[in-house]
Amino acid sequence: MSQVRRTPRNRTLRSRLTVALVLGALTVAVAAVALAQGKNALIGKLEGPEVVTDAAKIPKAFKEAPQLAELVKAGKLPPVAERIGQDPLVIKPLKEIGKYGGTWRAGFTGPADFWNGFRCCSGPDHLMFWDYTGDKVMPNLARGLEMQDGGKTWLLQLRRGMKWSDGKPFTADDFVFWFEDVYRNKDLVPTPSATLAINGKQGVIEKADTYTVRYRFPEAYYMFPDVLAGSTDLAGQMFGYRAMGGFAPAHYMKQFHPKYAGQAEVDKKAKDEKFDSWVRLFLAKNDWARNPDLPVLSAWKTVTPINTPTWTLERNPYSVFVDTAGNQLPYIDKVVLTLAENLEVINLRAIAGEYDYASRHMDLGKLPVFIENQVKGNYKVYLDPGDYGGDMIIKFNLNYDADPEIARWFNTADFRRALSLGVDRDQINETFWLGTGTPGSVVPVDSNKYNPGPQYRKLWSTLDVKKANEMLDKLGLGKKDAQGYRLRADGKGRLRIEIMTLGGQFVQYTQIAEMIREQWKKIGIDLQVQEVERSLALKRTEANEQQLGAWNNDGSEHLFTFPLHVFPFELAAVASSGPLYVKWFHSAGAQGKEPEPRMKELMEKWKKAFGVPEKERIQLGKDIWKIAAEEVYIIGVVGMGPASMGVRVVKNNMGNIPSRQYNSPDGKTPGISRPATFFWKN
Amino acid sequence: MAVVVAVAPEQRVFVASQWQLMWWRFRKHKLAVASGVVVLGFYLVVLGADFLAYADPDVSEAQRSLMPPQRVYWFDGWQFGPYVHGFKGARDPQTFKRVYVADPSVKVPIRFFAEGFEYRFLGLIPTTRHLIGVDGGLDASQTIFLLGTDVQGRDLWSRLMYGTRISLTIGLLGVTASLVLGVVLGGLSGFYGGVTDTIIQRTIEILRSIPTIPLWMGLAAALPRDWSILQVYFAITIIISLLGWTELARVVRGRFLAMREEDFVVSARLVGCTELRTIFVHMVPSFMSHIIAATTLALPAMIISETSLSFLGLGLRPPAISWGVLLQQAQNVQTVAISPWLMLPALPVIVAVMAFNFLGDGLRDAADPYGR
Repeated sequence: MSQVRRTPRNRTLRSRLTVALVLGALTVAVAAVALAQGKNALIGKLEGPEVVTDAAKIPKAFKEAPQLAELVKAGKLPPVAERIGQDPLVIKPLKEIGKYGGTWRAGFTGPADFWNGFRCCSGPDHLMFWDYTGDKVMPNLARGLEMQDGGKTWLLQLRRGMKWSDGKPFTADDFVFWFEDVYRNKDLVPTPSATLAINGKQGVIEKADTYTVRYRFPEAYYMFPDVLAGSTDLAGQMFGYRAMGGFAPAHYMKQFHPKYAGQAEVDKKAKDEKFDSWVRLFLAKNDWARNPDLPVLSAWKTVTPINTPTWTLERNPYSVFVDTAGNQLPYIDKVVLTLAENLEVINLRAIAGEYDYASRHMDLGKLPVFIENQVKGNYKVYLDPGDYGGDMIIKFNLNYDADPEIARWFNTADFRRALSLGVDRDQINETFWLGTGTPGSVVPVDSNKYNPGPQYRKLWSTLDVKKANEMLDKLGLGKKDAQGYRLRADGKGRLRIEIMTLGGQFVQYTQIAEMIREQWKKIGIDLQVQEVERSLALKRTEANEQQLGAWNNDGSEHLFTFPLHVFPFELAAVASSGPLYVKWFHSAGAQGKEPEPRMKELMEKWKKAFGVPEKERIQLGKDIWKIAAEEVYIIGVVGMGPASMGVRVVKNNMGNIPSRQYNSPDGKTPGISRPATFFWKN
Repeated sequence: MAVVVAVAPEQRVFVASQWQLMWWRFRKHKLAVASGVVVLGFYLVVLGADFLAYADPDVSEAQRSLMPPQRVYWFDGWQFGPYVHGFKGARDPQTFKRVYVADPSVKVPIRFFAEGFEYRFLGLIPTTRHLIGVDGGLDASQTIFLLGTDVQGRDLWSRLMYGTRISLTIGLLGVTASLVLGVVLGGLSGFYGGVTDTIIQRTIEILRSIPTIPLWMGLAAALPRDWSILQVYFAITIIISLLGWTELARVVRGRFLAMREEDFVVSARLVGCTELRTIFVHMVPSFMSHIIAATTLALPAMIISETSLSFLGLGLRPPAISWGVLLQQAQNVQTVAISPWLMLPALPVIVAVMAFNFLGDGLRDAADPYGR
């Protein structure tokens, strides 16, 4: 500073400087405290509605929306009690009994954004579902699930008198139809689902009686309730577009199935509607978001399909959901999702107060603007941090083989650890999460039942440039070029590593990767950032052409129902830890490449967990996270932040809104807060 | 006396060379001269971008994310000594904005020819001197941000300098490429006529009938995504020059056609000039004015093309820095609402384009000294 040059003023300057420093330190301290409080102001207490299972508390008389009452009066609909059936699905609203009426406006980004509607408006229509903590499995569309035969057989009890949205009964026949004619049809489902199998052995679905479905497995399948509750292949009609779901409306879908309608007839129908095969037609007809005629069980049903500029959903008159006072849910008549060409537009509309409830696509970087416009837009901003460890993660492709030198380093644990130590997570958190995230490894939040312990958050996941450099030097990467970058051990120039990122996502992967590129300069690693679009990314991971891939691990807090960001589980991923390991895993060793011992151990533990009681499973889950954190197959950057769908903008006069909700694809958030209980206060 | 004064300039006109005439005429166009100076200035920035920048354009620092431009105090007391105040930054817990408070007790003097990051001046001489900077160079605890910083805390002024370098050289290279293409193809077309003419003219028509932005977008989207920044840079140059040549070729061809039968061309041929000599010594100089005008007027179009392509996310991509890239990073709600200074890179685009247009205007008038 200037005191060196201006000697006469030295003393005053120094004292001024001291004052400034003290003041500065004070400001920072005050700001830190304030920041902690500020975080609390937007992040509330986790809360949500509950499913009532106590028979004594189930309402006996039912009420319905006025327009439905009129239809009943006009003789166009059966009375409400008949429509709901004997066993309603009773939900205790979070705060109060609501009022009927109104429209819920939100936005979506096009036909690929189908999760948007599943999350808000499907009910959720899972057979079992999580309570609001996302931790405990509760009955949902099914009344109960009973384990028999040491976990080999499961009896699912349906609700008596429950109906599809066209008034036809929902029974065990819908499960048998799906299993026999959809799931087992090789044209519709070429590869069977892992969710209906234990240790690679497929189970069967049978009808026990009209309202009881029996699942039989060759081995104990203790995880089955979680599988029904999670966003898996058995998770209800949302996956109907790819012939999964666990059940389907037999009475309606049979007209598109060759077994019932005849091959000639379905081929003709497909041709008439310009589909290239009956399979395409069948899948399109079974699509919750695209076919307004499809009978559904969800609280709202599609009336204008997703491939139009306004995706509209209206109340299902046969909805089985009721509140504790016997009002048939949903309260809100209609959900209108308007097409927004890009994320900027969807955010602008939310800021302008044109949406009533929006969390999907809301950009954390715009949080100050959201807050600034709260009063003008008559909305309130909430933050829902996720429970998963990585809003951004970086996967090493352990199977990369185009360059043996790179492959060798990726398969060296200390190399991966050193790179992780070279990431300055605090900088990234402050810049891109506005300080709302938690820097650390990939492990989920401390309160998660599979969390191995608080020390694993920091393991190999703090900034330590010195140690990282020492580790890299020790590995034999000590030689550097004139610019300070490390040279390859095989003498072919600089060690250059590529990272693949996707643009236009909830998290700004490209920009963050650029920041990491700067940070890795300090450990002599030359990172090349390549932004690609999604389909190219998928193609390249599958072709084993990816080196590093950036993504998030949302859903990984439900380790067993959402494992694809924990270890190589799915081929179709934008970032992969090893496509050959995926093949090895799913073919039971017949294809692909055998993983290294610790990865193999991790995979085996995961598999084993499905067939053991919960207590044992929790231990296995902890072991899996321990291995993941120790081996750093995936670098965790910043997590447990609200970056992915956790910035929630809700109108002030909408009721039953939780101050914080469990944010996860498995919870179909906001589905876990039961949007059917949201209502307009005035 | 009066006679001498009246006659002398006229005689000067008669004996002056064509270039002299052009220069005299150009000087009269005040706006063009001023624009010429501005353009010159821009190209000085191109040459000395790293000298004019005082911070590494890629170095990011979260603690100074989205800093507004600093106020520069020019006088320290009565003495000339520009300085800026130090600052304290923290995130406001209520609004989640980063708030920076100037600390008047800390003065950060701006030094000329200060030490900074290392670079090669003109790509040759390794040095650490920069036009401005602070004491202590890279290790200084406080530094300056004349135009503020972006989200990642990178200095906007320095990024703008580097962006200018890339955006303006792309324009220059693009124009050179289209100039060569235009004169050669247009010349061939006009001089030989017949089938050559037909093929070239129809190609031009097809190219010109396609709307430019979608065509550029298509071509730019076809660039392999795994190309390095340098490859993309050259590919973009070629893409935008691919259309630029057509207009020039048309003009050149028309001139050739008109002039082919002119007396001076015919006589040149009759005295035995080769085709090449006829073209370059006798014909080209007579429509030089058009070539110069077309070239200078094409430059701003090229700059705008690069900027709009990058703005649409199809041209250059980060970590490359160009005006378009800088603007692309500013095209979001939060920039308009909380960090409007990030839109500053639009200013040099406007100034450069206008300067080139005026300069081109002046040059066109000047290059045709017998015109009007």
